[in-house]
Amino acid sequence: MDLSYEVKDSYAEIKAAGRLNMVSAPKLREFVADVVAAGSSRIVVNLEDTAFMDSSGLGALIGCLKAARQAGGDLRIAAVQPQVKMVLELTSMDRVLTSYATAAEAFGND
Amino acid sequence: MTDVLARRNFRSLATPEAVDAVHGQLDDLWEDAPFVPDMDRMTFATAVIEAAANVVQHAEPESADPVELGVDICIRQSSLRAKVSAFGAASPSIDGDPAMPGEDAESGRGLALIRALVTTVTFTRQDATNTWILSRDPIGS
Repeated sequence: MDLSYEVKDSYAEIKAAGRLNMVSAPKLREFVADVVAAGSSRIVVNLEDTAFMDSSGLGALIGCLKAARQAGGDLRIAAVQPQVKMVLELTSMDRVLTSYATAAEAFGND
Repeated sequence: MTDVLARRNFRSLATPEAVDAVHGQLDDLWEDAPFVPDMDRMTFATAVIEAAANVVQHAEPESADPVELGVDICIRQSSLRAKVSAFGAASPSIDGDPAMPGEDAESGRGLALIRALVTTVTFTRQDATNTWILSRDPIGS
């Protein structure tokens, strides 16, 4: 999985490309922790190029959400693809990890 | 029993990288079975990867030798079937009817997710090998 980030006006956008599984999940946790430590706690994880997520990847997103909230911010996800949407729905985590069509919309009304 | 139309067999040390290798085999497998609809590919592949990851994360070796992960996938006209094995593993403690954990939990969803994705899940243990058999059938329903 390739991870990159860009600080926007009111949030930081993290792009995650590849498979979010037990191999990449610890990398995502570490990456988000670094972004939060650098001062951005409002985070959008752009999943446009994440074709696959398993329960380890989902666990990492939940951990990252907690880290962002503990820092006074929030974590939202954008551009979710069909397999990721399926995993979120089957685990009912779509109620917790709010999904937006685009990264720009995620904090659009805040 | 109808004919096997496509098959992949994988075995290696149970490491996280092995799960990526299984994923590569699954991607490759669909090229031999273009008739399998996208929804079936997505659900079945997710279940197989969850089961393989479960072996890597939780299987404890029974002896001094490390656990090996085996994945044997068969596609027939009307069914998808995977045998996911932990070779050389101790007997696991299994929750036969796992529930999804709470919203804050960062782990513990794998087995419940597998059950939601496939038609049947069976477990057998023989000769220090734990095997989960996942079936999804009929295809396209």
